[in-house]
Amino acid sequence: MSNNKAFAADASRKERIKEWVSRPGGFGIITGSLMFAAITLVGFIYPLVGPYAADEFVGESLEGPSLSHPMGLDQLGRDVMTRVFSAVPADIGIAFLGVTIPLTIGTVVGILLGISKNKYVVSTVSSLIDGINAFPLLIIAIAMVTFLGPGLFNVVIILTLMSWARYARIARTKAVVVLQQNYIEAAKLMGYSKRRVISKHVAPNVSSESLAYALSDFILVIIIVSGLSFLGFAARPPMPEWGSMIADGRTFLGQAWWLTVFPGLAICWSAISLSFIVEGLSRRDRGNS
Amino acid sequence: MSNALVQIDSLCIDVKVTRTRRLTIVNSATFDVQPGQLLGLIGESGSGKTMLCRSLVGTLHRRGAYINSGSLTFNGIDLVNASPKEWRDIRGKEIGYIPQSALAGPNPVMTIGAQMAEAIQLGEKMDKGVVRKRAIELLEIVQIRRPEIVLKQYPYELSGGMKQRVMIACAIAREPKLIVADEPTTGLDVTVQAEIMQLLKQIRKNLNTSIILVSHDLPLINEVCDDIVIMHAGSTVEKIPSAKIQDTRHPYTEALYRSRIDLVEPRGKLVTINGQPPTVGDWPTGCRFAGRCDYAKPGCSADVEIPSIKIGPNHLTSCIRQAEIWGK
Amino acid sequence: MNRNVFLRKLGGRLLRTISISFWVMVISYSLMRLSPGDPAEARLGAGADPEAIIKLRETLGLNENAFVAFVDYFTGVLRGDLGVSLANDVEVLEIIKRTFPLTLTYIVLSVFFAFIISIPIGTIIGWSNKASAVYVFRGITSIIIATPNFFIAMVGILLFSVKYNWAPLFGYVSDFPGNLKYLWLPITVNTLILVSIISRVLQTSVVDTRAEEFVETGIIRGVSRPRFFWFYILKPSLAPTVVLLSYMMGTMLGATVILETIFSLPGIGRELVGAVLANDYPVVQGILLLFGVITVFLSFIGDLLAYALDRRVKL
Repeated sequence: MSNNKAFAADASRKERIKEWVSRPGGFGIITGSLMFAAITLVGFIYPLVGPYAADEFVGESLEGPSLSHPMGLDQLGRDVMTRVFSAVPADIGIAFLGVTIPLTIGTVVGILLGISKNKYVVSTVSSLIDGINAFPLLIIAIAMVTFLGPGLFNVVIILTLMSWARYARIARTKAVVVLQQNYIEAAKLMGYSKRRVISKHVAPNVSSESLAYALSDFILVIIIVSGLSFLGFAARPPMPEWGSMIADGRTFLGQAWWLTVFPGLAICWSAISLSFIVEGLSRRDRGNS
Repeated sequence: MSNALVQIDSLCIDVKVTRTRRLTIVNSATFDVQPGQLLGLIGESGSGKTMLCRSLVGTLHRRGAYINSGSLTFNGIDLVNASPKEWRDIRGKEIGYIPQSALAGPNPVMTIGAQMAEAIQLGEKMDKGVVRKRAIELLEIVQIRRPEIVLKQYPYELSGGMKQRVMIACAIAREPKLIVADEPTTGLDVTVQAEIMQLLKQIRKNLNTSIILVSHDLPLINEVCDDIVIMHAGSTVEKIPSAKIQDTRHPYTEALYRSRIDLVEPRGKLVTINGQPPTVGDWPTGCRFAGRCDYAKPGCSADVEIPSIKIGPNHLTSCIRQAEIWGK
Repeated sequence: MNRNVFLRKLGGRLLRTISISFWVMVISYSLMRLSPGDPAEARLGAGADPEAIIKLRETLGLNENAFVAFVDYFTGVLRGDLGVSLANDVEVLEIIKRTFPLTLTYIVLSVFFAFIISIPIGTIIGWSNKASAVYVFRGITSIIIATPNFFIAMVGILLFSVKYNWAPLFGYVSDFPGNLKYLWLPITVNTLILVSIISRVLQTSVVDTRAEEFVETGIIRGVSRPRFFWFYILKPSLAPTVVLLSYMMGTMLGATVILETIFSLPGIGRELVGAVLANDYPVVQGILLLFGVITVFLSFIGDLLAYALDRRVKL
């Protein structure tokens, strides 16, 4: 009976929060969220309050980590720590756009496909979607750079063009399943308008699945964005961005390990914190810890 | 009762939930099984009946469960402390098991023939021709047509009823003295259910096997079994011969009996039992049915040990107030 | 009776695979048309000779109607003609033949080793009762998976090439066994990541299988240990792993681009990067097409293998 206390209407706020956390996966979700919030906040605030600017030449080139420069200086004498944190809007921000926009477009298309009765339209678009999904994301993103040109903004466009198909696939599969459920039939029988049925019943259920995928996708896109920059296809110097910083640091690998390690750790931190959240959520779903 | 095939006394099964927390699933189970007897075991979900079955085939450890106290004897052998070697001699050969039809069935990645061979050989080496012949023979006993074809098929190609027949065939492969059937017809069509029940009755007759038939379906058990053991919240509350079910001496059995769907008059009220069974591990003191019992008095929930009262040669009950309610 | 059903489903799936491959071709060809500017001009540079630009447009088929151009391309591909590199006049097919084997080699080796290592790890942890072991396992694998492969590669280089001279920084020798020196680090990096992914999926799968009732029946039947391991634990759990693997091969192909750049290996990934930098459209299209078709067929084969292992899989 002690577990059921939290469900009682008179359970205090504190008790309910405690219960939510103690369920399987709670630890992961909280840790991951805190970690991710930390780097995002620091990324947006530090450049405003930090002592140096991202492109300011503040000292000797290739100086190792020290008290005044915890992450060292790069080959042009810029403070690595400032640059690492200044890269957050680029890496995380672009990745965020690269997930939310395809998520929206893809889910809408997917639901529409799920609803549609037109067999030809559905099968053609589905084949198209499968066709787009057939390419490894990094490869087709690189190919697109050939045709659209490099640059961070173009990367968003490329990601949108390529990623929507994955979301559409998930949304459509789930929409088809949802539409077969009894409660949809019940809603229709009760006389709800088609629009209402879709917006109140189909959309929320489909979106929850798409959103779950979006979280995992976020990790992937962060890595792809930095990967593309590493190859020189996305962010261009002197813009601070983790991937391009690692690429720059490659030349000085032997002498200045901090040029590659710290931006790399930043990517790791972001990806790991998100994966903790994903892992926590999946543990919660599976009901074990 | 001394020549019982299975003797269970005050059996207590616990489960290890975490390193420190333990949950009692079966608190005090007492009954016996005679050779050739068809015994029904009735109870709601959470009553502990499945754990009891597992204790009879020695697979408790898989779920972190273990026998805490009490005795469990089969054919004179103590199963509580049996060694792995003793279990290997008993499992499958002396005690057979038919799993719940809804959950399980044959291994989906093996052919029926391969699995029957396993059930027949039980780890021993046998001539392939002999095994195949026996497999076909068994499939015919369970009334599966065209057994040679079925041997080559995979479970997903068979219907629920057929899969369950295969499981029965596997269970009787070595003609065990006892078969434990855990809800063997749950989830199957009613007609198939009837056929399977007929099959079990026939097997009992032809092989003189004792069968413990677990179910939550009282009418079914009542019709098929010789005697019935009723479980509630981890304890056996009554053991009564099928024929005498209306002379029950326990409020729970009475309530179960009265709530039978087939007794309802058209347009009549459905009789239900109040409340829910207590959460496992969170059991109240005294009689665990007291909270839902129509006859309960304050004395029923007192912290006393619930006795096992003998009413007749084959009739035991755990209701402290039985004499007052139904007279001597 | 069910052979026909199976063949019919197989045929249907194969047909779908081919139709998706067709779309793959359409997409890889039409990307060029999505360019906002003039591809020919982009390739030759803004200040180039206008006649050269026109000639290039002709070669690339940009002057024709898109549909006609695609049909030309399509029939060409069926004949084995994937176009000619703009940079050095070599046939794209030749370029692929020259560079793909290396990439294929180290991918296949990575997958092979990863599989051998993942099966015992995934099975043991999946079957284990120790919550601590599971926690540690999932924790470490989470971290490895979340780390971008180029970072792992760079750390690997830092340790093994810079600090301890166990692997050369760049260069390549194509004959065996000389090339092992150059390949062991990229293969190890790849294998490490693959092992994390595969063993994780296998572990989850084994945990699911373990809870199934038929495993109980296997114990009751006293099945011998090796038999039990294969038929009751491994075989029912492998299907998701195999499907994942076929999907991973596609992602691996993608990852080769970065790995080959870092390790300076003359594989197809590096070739693609070079072609992109040089605006060498035919090569880009050709490699893109190759990757797309391979991924589609791999997923088909993966599903087929999964079905062979576990009939519950839907074809």
